[in-house]
Amino acid sequence: MTQDVEMKEQPAPSNSVTSVGPSTLQHLKEIASLIETGAYAREVRRIVRVVRLTIALRKKLKASVLSAFLNYALVSGSEVHSRLSSYLPKEDEQDMEVDTATSTTQAPVKHPLPELEIYCYLLVLIFLIDQKRYNEAKACSSASIARLKNLNRRTIDVLAARLYFYYSLSYELTGDLAEIRGNLLSLHRIATLRHDELGQETLLNLLLRNYLHYNLFDQAEKLRSKAPRFEAHSNQQFCRYLFYLGKIRTIQLEYTDAKESLLQAARKAPAAALGFRVQCNKWAVIVRLLLGEIPERTVFMQKGMEKALRPYFELTNAVRIGDLELFKAVAEKFSGTFSSDGTHNLIVRLRHNVIRTGLRNISISYSRISLADVAKKLRLDSPNPIADAESIVAKAIRDGAIDATLDHAKGWMVSKETGDIYSTNEPQIAFNSRIAFCLNMHNEAVRALRFPPNSHKEKESAEKRRERQQQEQELAKHIAEEDDDEF
Amino acid sequence: MDPKVTEVSQLFERFKAAFIRNDFDTCSKLLSQLKVLLTEFRSLPPLFEETPNAVHELTLARDIYEHAVVLSVKIEDQDAFERDFFQLKPYYTDARGCLPPSPQEYPILGLNLLRLLVQNRIAEFHTELELLSASAMENNCIKHAVELEQSFMEGAYNRVLSARQTVPHETYVYFMDLLAKTVRDEIAGCSEKAYDSLSINDARKILLFSSDKELFEYVKEEHPEWEIKNGFVIFQKAKESAPCKEIPSLQLINQTLSYARELERIV
Repeated sequence: MTQDVEMKEQPAPSNSVTSVGPSTLQHLKEIASLIETGAYAREVRRIVRVVRLTIALRKKLKASVLSAFLNYALVSGSEVHSRLSSYLPKEDEQDMEVDTATSTTQAPVKHPLPELEIYCYLLVLIFLIDQKRYNEAKACSSASIARLKNLNRRTIDVLAARLYFYYSLSYELTGDLAEIRGNLLSLHRIATLRHDELGQETLLNLLLRNYLHYNLFDQAEKLRSKAPRFEAHSNQQFCRYLFYLGKIRTIQLEYTDAKESLLQAARKAPAAALGFRVQCNKWAVIVRLLLGEIPERTVFMQKGMEKALRPYFELTNAVRIGDLELFKAVAEKFSGTFSSDGTHNLIVRLRHNVIRTGLRNISISYSRISLADVAKKLRLDSPNPIADAESIVAKAIRDGAIDATLDHAKGWMVSKETGDIYSTNEPQIAFNSRIAFCLNMHNEAVRALRFPPNSHKEKESAEKRRERQQQEQELAKHIAEEDDDEF
Repeated sequence: MDPKVTEVSQLFERFKAAFIRNDFDTCSKLLSQLKVLLTEFRSLPPLFEETPNAVHELTLARDIYEHAVVLSVKIEDQDAFERDFFQLKPYYTDARGCLPPSPQEYPILGLNLLRLLVQNRIAEFHTELELLSASAMENNCIKHAVELEQSFMEGAYNRVLSARQTVPHETYVYFMDLLAKTVRDEIAGCSEKAYDSLSINDARKILLFSSDKELFEYVKEEHPEWEIKNGFVIFQKAKESAPCKEIPSLQLINQTLSYARELERIV
């Protein structure tokens, strides 16, 4: 029925459209045909390209263009069509009609592919989020997720992964992240059963984000350690995963591992993702401080990050000097920033490191110093500073932070001569860890390279090709014979 | 009212009566009966069904588990504490929306923090800490545990011990006593490394013993390698990390071979 109506409209003039409209629409149509070929040929790569092209178009999306595209891609009057159209604003009715006309000049698709349908959902959802109409975005994304659960096609997986992301985003923007946790978990389960690795990856990250949003580190870690792991498919998702992993490990005091994940996340993140890199750097700075390292000045001077990292820079400075008063002042001055970054509790943990650094400085400068002076220099404000200083020094000695002995009767601390470090295995170990790092980096880089498909076959000499083809033919014949045998 | 709720309430009254009498055997018996009865309420976690008297049932169950946690402290059973606490936790987190806050919440959370500290489960301690809001951190009971952890990490052990006098709740004493024991072991470990020797008098004071005899017994049991001579406790220094004379050949060979393999792959 509807098809007929559209057919009649076909000869309508199409040159009265606005200048932006047709080009964007044209792009969208090209994308649609790309989806079609991708879907028929079952080529996931094409769909990946679709997603990339769409992101490029994101800023140009307009209600009129979208509704035109919906009319083009979906059967008008169908359930999906009417539902998606209802999310688009109606005010520019005029434009819409004109665009409808253009769309019908193309031959309308008779049976819209599920891929195309899902793609329309995705477009509308992106549009709604960009327009800050979050409640509608929530409704739209929930509808799309309900639809997705019934579709099981590998070509949809890529689009589905994007949809999951925007689904979670729309709920996060309205602050209802807890609501969808159960849903995400079941989606993750479905993705696992369907071997949809990209979907699993995306959903695992969304779940981690969901848990961490409510500081549920325990649950996040339990999920993370039990979820299936595989080679990362998407660099972005892998970065996110590393970041969340780093956060979890920081909270659970596994600083060395945390540092590795956070630094890797910061390095791997695309240059455009400034906010993400800033977050990674903030956490990495704190973790390094907690490890007793002092991050280099260049970390804080990275382009575009100076301002955001300023509080952390001052904090680092306080820790470096080992001045408790200064540390307290900085922590208080930026307490707002720290608590909004969720790093407040970590900074409380740092107090201990400030004392350690101060103590190390004292131990290096003095060969012998009274405990009363140590307490004064560390500015320990407690009812019994000398006793405090004594036990703090004792603990630092046991933990290997300083090399000294205490004399209780005389109340002083005697620092030992620092031995020649080159007579130990230390340099060898440090050297080894650096070499291992470089080699690992090289291997990762090689693995990350993308090769066009079949490139290795082109190098194959003509002779070899003939040989291979012959072999294949023989194989085929063999199989055919076997088939015959069965009858 | 639902007969089941009435039954549980009555049983709980008997439990509370026994609890006040400090009749812990009866308490434990009643508690296990109560727990079985609670499983029949469909409004409780993990189902959270919205039954007509859900709020009443939830409040009752929360009350029961709060008492169970305190009871486990009184009978000094840490495993029971952990079990009961985990059963109680959903009432504080997931049922927060539909229940009025409990006055016992912070004392019990603080108690749990203290338990983690005593058991030296610092990672879990911090995980729990992240769940608390800024206002919760201001609470006396929570603050107490947080400050203890800080002093403990810094090594200001006498501050840990003096905190025993300022416990915010009587149930905390049990864990504080346990903590004192942990602290003593820590101090012993530190002293061993930090001092060459200590006079018996000082050692007694540092290790918080009231008499020399206790000190001697402790040394005999925990640190037989310490020597007591001429009124001094002499610590046998752990072997210093002497300059390495031996080359760890096997390790070096392995490393070098792996470099060679990697380089081969690159070239």
